[in-house]
Amino acid sequence: MKKYVSLLLTCLLIFVLAACTAKQETGNEPKPTDKEEGTKEEAVTEKILYLNNGMEPTSFDPPIGFDAVSWSGLNNLMEGLTRLSQNHEPEAATAEKWDVSEDGKTYTFHIRENAKWSNGDSVTAGDFVFAWKRLLNPETGSPAAFLGYFIEGAEAFNTGAGSADDVKVKAVDEKTFEVTLISPQAYFLSVITNPAFFPINEKVAAENPQWFAEAETFVGNGPFNLAEWEHDSHFLMEKNDQYWDAGTVKLDKVHWAIVDDTNTEYQMYQTGNLDVSDIPADLSEQLFSEGKVQVGDQAGDYFYRFNLTLEPFQNVNIRKAFAMAVDQQQIVDFVTKNKEKPAYGFVAYGFNDPAGNDFRETAGDLVKTDIEEAKALLAKGMEEEGYEKLPEVTLTYSTSDTHKKIAEALQQMFKDNLGVEVKLANMEWNVFAEEQTALKFQLSRSSFLADYADPINFLENFQTGHSMNRTGWSNAEYDQLIKDAKNEADETRRYEMMYKAEKILFEEMPIIPIHFYNQVYLQNEAVTGIVRHPVGYLELKWADKN
Amino acid sequence: MTAYIVKRLIAMLVTLWLIITLTFFLMHSVPGSPFNEERATNETVQKNLEKYYHLDEPLIVQYGLYLKSVVTLDFGPSIKKSSQTVNEMLGRGFPVSFELGIVTLIVAVISGITLGIIAALRHNGILDYTAMTIAVLGISIPNFVMATLLIQQVAVNWGILPVATWVSPKHMILPTLALATGPMAIIARLTRSSMLEVLTQDYIRTAKAKGLSPVKIIFKHALRNALLPVVTVLGSLAASILTGTFVIEKIFAIPGMGKYFVESINQRDYPVIMGTTVFYSAILIMMLFLVDIAYGILDPRIKLHKKEGS
Repeated sequence: MKKYVSLLLTCLLIFVLAACTAKQETGNEPKPTDKEEGTKEEAVTEKILYLNNGMEPTSFDPPIGFDAVSWSGLNNLMEGLTRLSQNHEPEAATAEKWDVSEDGKTYTFHIRENAKWSNGDSVTAGDFVFAWKRLLNPETGSPAAFLGYFIEGAEAFNTGAGSADDVKVKAVDEKTFEVTLISPQAYFLSVITNPAFFPINEKVAAENPQWFAEAETFVGNGPFNLAEWEHDSHFLMEKNDQYWDAGTVKLDKVHWAIVDDTNTEYQMYQTGNLDVSDIPADLSEQLFSEGKVQVGDQAGDYFYRFNLTLEPFQNVNIRKAFAMAVDQQQIVDFVTKNKEKPAYGFVAYGFNDPAGNDFRETAGDLVKTDIEEAKALLAKGMEEEGYEKLPEVTLTYSTSDTHKKIAEALQQMFKDNLGVEVKLANMEWNVFAEEQTALKFQLSRSSFLADYADPINFLENFQTGHSMNRTGWSNAEYDQLIKDAKNEADETRRYEMMYKAEKILFEEMPIIPIHFYNQVYLQNEAVTGIVRHPVGYLELKWADKN
Repeated sequence: MTAYIVKRLIAMLVTLWLIITLTFFLMHSVPGSPFNEERATNETVQKNLEKYYHLDEPLIVQYGLYLKSVVTLDFGPSIKKSSQTVNEMLGRGFPVSFELGIVTLIVAVISGITLGIIAALRHNGILDYTAMTIAVLGISIPNFVMATLLIQQVAVNWGILPVATWVSPKHMILPTLALATGPMAIIARLTRSSMLEVLTQDYIRTAKAKGLSPVKIIFKHALRNALLPVVTVLGSLAASILTGTFVIEKIFAIPGMGKYFVESINQRDYPVIMGTTVFYSAILIMMLFLVDIAYGILDPRIKLHKKEGS
């Protein structure tokens, strides 16, 4: 009996092993991107950069892929009239040069003779007209369409009130593209670096409306080509020989993994399967102390919104008291521990006025941590409102570990510094977003990432009724300043208006800024030249790997 | 038998329709929208988007449209990934999840049954305790902990297997192990207890008395009956494993369909929620049907067609 049993078990074991290997062999198709085999042979001749996109790109259709997971790919596969330089300034790209009319409203772009699509077609003004009208077409349903509203006729077309013919973009000739704006916009050249404004090869799109869905049919005009795209798994870029500035591009290939888990990403970085990695939250302190982490700016804010339509935050002094009771420095030092810059204003660092001064530094700290003053203001506000006792305050955030830690720190600060017991509540993100828009919270978490590189993009959010306002705050002088700034051709005067507007914002304090965002990452020492723009996108045009 | 199968098929369709209807209305009753973004898009754009996806129509009209799409088996485009259709996503994700799932099931079933038999035959012996310790550990350690441990030890520290992604057979080993431990443990425990029960029955004693070989007794007579409870759990287990597991697929960056279940709900991507739910329900119902058929084969005392008369 014993003999049989052990014989039987041995058989079973063999069967298990056989089953595994048999199954695995069937799946053993040679894949062109098999790293283990690939790198050894090709390392000498080919430069392959291994990156992680985190998630499947939403879409490589320029007006639809309006998010970071699409931009990392799109920005390197295609190119607009202008492109952000290594100093984050817009510079000539597909357009070689441009003329601006005297009133600053009409731009005439001269497209490079050697600007070509990856299939060899010439990039024409018509491709831009086609793409921009498509961006604005209500039927496209582009979430980026509002970026184009500074073009004459654009808003009317997008909202269904006007027609495509009234949008003032036209192809003067094959290589000359003209656009008329509703007002002079100093940041226009920077806005159009956004992938939403990339050209689309009209011929290709006519033949195959889904040209952007697969690598085989993708036609771009950027530094790289889309060579392979296995959805949800990886995509591969190859140097584009048709690119007008192909001589500058040093990498041969860029392999983008799609790994959603930061711990896994970090482990792949450790084993050399990735050249760049995010930082797992639990290891952040350790990695920072080892000096391995690199930090770059990102134009965006982590902040809290007061709701002026609910008690007690209709009172400006009570709002100020809460804002002053917050110690931003402590939050970045001891809570987030990610080396963010504490925020004492709303416009992020990195925007220079005509005199060459940084907006944030010039505007200075518009809110400060001052416990004594906070207490005095709270008392004053309560007296103004006739409160014996402050109405109960609930602070709401969307469910996440980081948000929770910050919310708890704030709760503690309000308790220690103001003696106010604040309740915490959290809810699933999608419901949170809906309720916040409907002004149902008293005090709630928010964040903002700039869409284009200008202070006005930060400040326009708080205009009356703006979809990003979500505080119930409204100030006529502020609205006027933003409107005027958008129409102002003179840069010095425009910046003065924006400085003034931000000051008003903080005199009224509908928000509590917490910190500015940054980009922290680990990077293989052999890799150089990856440009991370504070606004927007990862740039690989100048990247190299030794 | 044929009549039974036809009857079951009709019942399956009705069940599926109920699931579709419930899911559809539950999904729309949850607050939130696929177009909610931290960076709020303005109202006109949002309206355009809603119109594009028929979200501005009354719910009952949307339901009608939806039923039509289910009948034609075309679930339409995803709202969040608009250049992909739900059919494409399932068609791409399911084979991957299925591949991982089937290997996992084979490993879990074979090793689970083996452990169970060993434990039962060596009841209260060292082997029994060892096997059951493994099983208890397998049940108590969640698969994501197992996955992280395996990656850190095998892939990072020893460097013998890749960390993640889905490229070669080598990449399958760790996720299979992480995913198989739990089901293996459940199967081992079930096999052990039902084997112990069966082994004390009279007909086993008769078989022994007849002088049958132990192999024949265990496999032909004991195991066949002992497998009934295992087959019962296997139905739903197979449905969930074959359609992918969110956590394991996320940790190992496997392009399966597990993530669509969770992501689509977070993003309120209605077509994807419906597509995954309908797909999963269909597979689950199918598996339960197969389980019932398997009962009849394993245990001749269960006669399926008799149910007609009752």
